This record gives sequence, C-alpha cells and structure tokens, in this order.
Amino acid sequence: MEGFKSLIVILLSSVLVNNYVLSRFLGICPFLGVSKKINQAVGMGVSVTLVMLLATVVTWPIQHLVLDNFGLGYLQTIVFILVIASLVQILEIILKKFSPALHQGLGVYLPLITTNCAVLGVAINNITDGYNFVESLVSSLGCGLGFLLAMVLFSGLRSKIDESEVPANFRGVAITLIAASFISLAFMGLAGIVDNLFA
Amino acid sequence: MKKNNCLSVMLNGILKENPVLVLILGTCPTLATTTNVFGAFGMGIATLMVLICSNILISLLRKVIPDNVRIPCYIVIIAGFVTVVQMVVHAFLPELYDMLGVYLALIVVNCIILGRAEMFASKNTVVKSALDGLGMGIGFTLALCAIATVREVLGAASFGGNAIAFLSDYKIEFLVKAPGGMVVYGLMIALVGALTHGKSPKKKEFSCAGCPSAGICHANTCAEGKEEV
Amino acid sequence: MKKSIYSIMVLVCICATVSVLLALTNSITAPIIKKNEQKNANAALLEVYPDGGSFEQMNIKSYTLPSTVTEAYSAEKGGYVIKLETSGYSSGMVIMCAVSEDGKVVGTKIIASAETPSIGGAAADKFAPALVGKEIGDIDSVDTISGATKTTAAYRSAVKDALNASVILGGGSVDIRTEEEIFNDNLDAALPRAEGKFNKHFFVEVVEGVDAIYVAENNTGAVCIIGEQFIGVDANNEVLTECSDADAQNVKNAMTTIKATTTTELDLTAYEGLPSQLISAERTETGNYIIEIKGAGYGIVGGDEYHPASGEYIYIDVSLTPDGKVIDCMTISQAETDGIGSACADEKFYGQFDGKTEETYNDIDAISGATMTTDGYKKAISRAFECVKIFEGGNV
Repeated sequence: MEGFKSLIVILLSSVLVNNYVLSRFLGICPFLGVSKKINQAVGMGVSVTLVMLLATVVTWPIQHLVLDNFGLGYLQTIVFILVIASLVQILEIILKKFSPALHQGLGVYLPLITTNCAVLGVAINNITDGYNFVESLVSSLGCGLGFLLAMVLFSGLRSKIDESEVPANFRGVAITLIAASFISLAFMGLAGIVDNLFA
Repeated sequence: MKKNNCLSVMLNGILKENPVLVLILGTCPTLATTTNVFGAFGMGIATLMVLICSNILISLLRKVIPDNVRIPCYIVIIAGFVTVVQMVVHAFLPELYDMLGVYLALIVVNCIILGRAEMFASKNTVVKSALDGLGMGIGFTLALCAIATVREVLGAASFGGNAIAFLSDYKIEFLVKAPGGMVVYGLMIALVGALTHGKSPKKKEFSCAGCPSAGICHANTCAEGKEEV
Repeated sequence: MKKSIYSIMVLVCICATVSVLLALTNSITAPIIKKNEQKNANAALLEVYPDGGSFEQMNIKSYTLPSTVTEAYSAEKGGYVIKLETSGYSSGMVIMCAVSEDGKVVGTKIIASAETPSIGGAAADKFAPALVGKEIGDIDSVDTISGATKTTAAYRSAVKDALNASVILGGGSVDIRTEEEIFNDNLDAALPRAEGKFNKHFFVEVVEGVDAIYVAENNTGAVCIIGEQFIGVDANNEVLTECSDADAQNVKNAMTTIKATTTTELDLTAYEGLPSQLISAERTETGNYIIEIKGAGYGIVGGDEYHPASGEYIYIDVSLTPDGKVIDCMTISQAETDGIGSACADEKFYGQFDGKTEETYNDIDAISGATMTTDGYKKAISRAFECVKIFEGGNV
C-alpha cells in the first residue's frame, strides 16, 4: 500500500508538478516546433511517451547491471544516447514492417526524438533520483504523459494566437514562448497538490 | 581576403546567426540555466568547449567518416567530449556541477552542437570549423548571460550569487521561475528582431536546418517543422 | 558490402577511441572528485573533531551498540565520531559526538532537534562546551541547564551512549543495558518460564524479609526480590533459585501470605466524614485496608480542587495497616506532563511511601521540576491516613 502510494505520488508529480517541458524545459524544442496542430501534438506526445518507456526499460538495467558493476559510470551519457538513438531506429523499422498504420501516425515523429533531451533527461534522472525499476517506469510514464498533456494544451492555445494580431517583432517564436509561459504559469498552481494528496 | 572570411565566420555566430536569439536553438539550457549568471556563464563555456572540440575533430575526420553512419559517429564524438567536460567540471568546479545538474550531461542533445557538426564542420576546413565553434559558443554564452542577467538581477536581486542590496525589496520573483524564463526569452527574441530589423532572414523560421535530426529525418516532417511559427 | 563493413569499422574505431579517452580522463578526475566528496562529508565531522584528520565510516552492524547510535566514523588521528538519535524523552534529537582514544569527549553538536530554539536550543549551546574533556563518570556531574531539564537529560544520555559505543568500537565491552533492561533481565533469569512477562504484586499484607514480588503473567510462579537478590519460586511455592535458608523461608512465607489474602469491599456510605477524593476501599481479613484515592495533578488549583480546564487527577492505590502505616503504594493512572510530572508513575517515586506513617510521609524526595505533582500526591496519601482512622472508628 505504502509502495503503491509512492508510485502514485511519483506519477502525479511528474505529470503535473515537475512537468518536464513546463518546469524543467526538457523537450522544449518539439514543444515549440511541433505543437501547431492538435494531431501533430498528440502524435509527438504519444511517440515521446513510448520512447521514454522503452528507453527506461533498456537503460535502467544497463546502468545497474553493467555500468555500476564494472565501474564504468563515466560512460553513462555516451551509452544512454547511443541506446536511445538505436532504440528509435529499431522502433521505426519494426513499426514500418509490422504496423504500417501506426507508422503512418507516429513514424514521422520518431527521428525527431533521437536527440530529444526529455528522453535522455528522464533516463538520467531516473538513475540520479535512485528510483527502482518499477518507480523508474512509472516516472517515465508520468513524464511522457506530462509532455503529451502540455503539448495538447499548448496546441489549443496556439490556435488562438493565429487568429490574433501580433506585433511584427513578436511574430514567430517570441509570442510562442510568451504563450508557453502562460501554460507554465498555470501548471505552477498545481505545485502543492501532490504533497497534500495523502496528508 | 581569407582572414576577413575567417573573421566573418566567427562573427556570424555571435551576431547574425546567434544560435539562441536568432536561430532559436538550444532552448532547453537557455531556459533552464539562466536563473543565475554564474550558472549561465558556466553552461555557456562548457558548451563552447564541446562545440570547438567536436567541430575540430569532426572536421578532421570529415573525409574518413562514411556518410551512412555519420550521425552516430557525431553523437559518439560529442557525447565523449561532453563526458570529459562533465568530469572536469565535477572535479574542479563542484559548485557549478551541482548547479547545472543533469543539464550538463544534456549538452549532448543540444541542437547547436550536432547542428553545427552536420551543417558546418562536415563541410569545412579545420580552422574554419574551429572558428565557427568559437563564434557559436561565444554567441551562445553571451545570449545566456544576457538572459541570466535580466532574470537574476530583477528576479532575485543578485548578480552571480552576490546580493544587490538596494534591489532586495523589489524582487520580481516570477522571473526566476519557469514561466518567467520563457517570457524573458520571448522578449529578448523580439528585441533582437527589432534591432536587426529583418536583416536575419531566418528569424521567422523555426529552423529545421539547424535541427540535429534534419539529416536523418523525413522530408515531410521537416516541412511541417519548418513551417512559420 | 565493402562499404558497410568500412562504415561499421569506422564507427567501432571512434567508439573505442572515445572510450579510451574517457577512461583516461576518468582516471585523472575520479580521485579528485572522490576527495572533494569526502571533504564535504567530512566537514560535519571536522566540526566536532577539528584535529581528527580524515574519517572513515564504520559498519556499525557488526557491533552491538546502544540503540541510539546511527552512524560511526573512525578518525585518522584516533578516536571516533558517533552520530546518535535520541529516543524516549526529547526524542528525535540528532547529535554528533567525537570521542578521543582515551575515552574523553572531544566535541559535540546537535545537528537536528525539535526543541524550542529559545530554551532547549540555547541549553544545547551552553551544555555542549561543558561536556568537552569529560569521561563517562563525569557526565552526570555536568550542571543541568536551568529550564531545559529534558534536553540536557537526553543530551547527557546520548553522550554516555557515544562514550560506551567508542569503547565497544575499540574492541572493549560495556554493559549498555539500561537500568530497566538489567532489572528485566534479572527477572527473566530468575524465572525463565514466565517468558519475561511479570506483574508487580501489590502488597496488602505486611510481609517480612521480602522487598518486592513480581508474579508471572502466565501463573507459572513469581520472583521475590530481597535486597539485590532475585529469587524465583514456582506455582507451588518451591524456591527455584539458590539462596540462604533464611531467605528461602522468607520467600515461602511471603508467597503463602499473599495467596491467602481475601478482601471485602467497604460500604463507604456507612461512614461519615470521608474525603470526596476517596474512590473505593477494601478491608482484608487481617484488618488491613486497600484504598483507591485520587490526587490532584499539575494544574489543579491549590494542588487540591479539581479544575476541569487545567488539570487531571492522579489515581493511586494505597494499602495500609489498621494503625496507619503504608504497606504498599502504586500509581494507577496519571496524565502529567510527559518527562516531568509523569515520573509520579515511576516506582522510584511512589516506592518511597512504603513503610511511611502519618508522621513521616512528608519525608520523601520530590519529583524534580514537578512540585505541584508531588504535593498533590502527598495530599492524597495523607487523606488515605484519614480514611483509615475513620474506618477504625477514630475521629478526624
């Protein structure tokens, strides 16, 4: 029961409170770049969640069974990024072969994720936070869902920007960033929610 | 003439193609490490080092590395330099190491570095690539410091961790929080846009050209990514 | 085909070179990083042991240490730094204590505590320097800081634990049992079949030669205490522990006496002038009285009248002889301030009334820091004397 509670706390805090995009700025590139249309936002969000989960499934055992055992902790960054890059490639090949429909939906976003800092960030953070395997999976799921939520909400907000008159110098990225700060501000309001959930 | 050319390569990175404020690359460290000028400067210098080293090495190896495995090769080289920088900072500047945390490791996925490797170093001479890395690195550092100065001075009434007494009652704490970072960054981009006044043709494009995935990604995705934002 | 083999070879070469480069850098930076980390970890230790040099954490699981010890470090220059967390009164105080090789306190510091900063916290500041240079025997003589009895008591016992722990870590042995643990161990040794569960017998008869009797909860016998001796007896009054014939006889007599006692409840309405604090009274067939009475606790006005908003009663059982001498006395329940007045539930306090009469009952040691509780208790005992006089038909 206690363990279950802590998993819920990890999940909710990574979705709402420590949202990777909105409070830690990880994965902000695709957040700004691929959030114009809601279907793009969902596609990207789902792909990122999937890759985050897969990356954790692979990197956690690598860290604890290989790197830690042989004192190769300093290879963490290089191994993780290669693992993630290969995973994305493999996933793309598999999708293409076995599920063309899914590949049609997600495939186009996968290459963009290779160097998405949110994925590497989750993999590294799971290790530094000392999570066990199940906690790591839950935290990855939470981060992915948080990313998806932020993307979908933001794509809604951006459609409003398109309809409005923006001063010339603010057109483009500038106004997008300022709009993103509103979403981030809204999420700051959720900060106390997890701490007090079981209080 | 040649010297002039080299200088312009370097200045390009600092001003006309400033990676942060014009090309809008490396947004993640830009937002995350600019709450403190010291941290921003450290992040800038760390990135600069990686950028110069990887640019030089990749340029040296540009004829050796086969085209079909170039992206993995670049990633390995960059990750190697990042880890070296990470270890050196951990050993000699533990304070900075604690401040930057995971973002130090995440230099690996900073679009600027892979972007420059793919766009410039793989096509140019060693000297030019080094200067390009230096220019881009300085441009990145300056932009980070500028944003950090605004955020830290107005938001935390301090500069590089040293408190500024007369501002302590007028802190705008919003600025050192996450949304404040986005607002300051957005305003900076608009300001640079106003100053250069259309001289940077790329500024209205969410630059896919600099995106690390550009080389391996599908044309249709890039087209979508490149749309006017 | 050739091209892809070449590609793979290049990639492998780059990976290998980068790995070698990283291993080299790591071999240079790793020792520095480790040293830095150690320095940070040592900073707290150096604060209590400035001349300790470097420290190494010890595996405390391989020693039997006082339960308060949470971490232990051995210092390069000899001695130990021990981290403790207090339990019981003032629990949750985390204390660092450095002990030199010859068993003296080098320095102590409270790292975390839930004490009132202005009282308990200030006490710690004054108390800590006074401990420096003290050996285990001197700790009790360090002056208590006024207004912070609890904090200093907890601090004192933690430092004693640290000193004991340092002896054990150094390979020596120390009896780290508390007084209560020693007592319970003695009971257990005298009558193992009781499985450690005893109830103190409440005397209602004058028993000669035996100080106290602890009856096994599972009715397998009892343990009689005579002076320092713990003598076990089984359910048939057979003495199990080796002892002198006189003691054995005393034990047998005592056991027979306490088993034979029967009592009758007294009808309180039949008497006039009984104090309202009297709850119930019984008379044994030998004429002794068992009286349950309440005494005023802390916060009850004038140590007597019950004041609902501010105090609770202390419930006391007293047995007396017809001529007004206390046979036994025991606190049944109380709600006094934990750590101060609550000592009235301690046998060390109420045991003092045994054998006292109306003339001598005042002559006991008060509970330190709890004058009101002591006075309320005494008043209750004096009322018990009055009750006995009334039952015996005398006038009050």
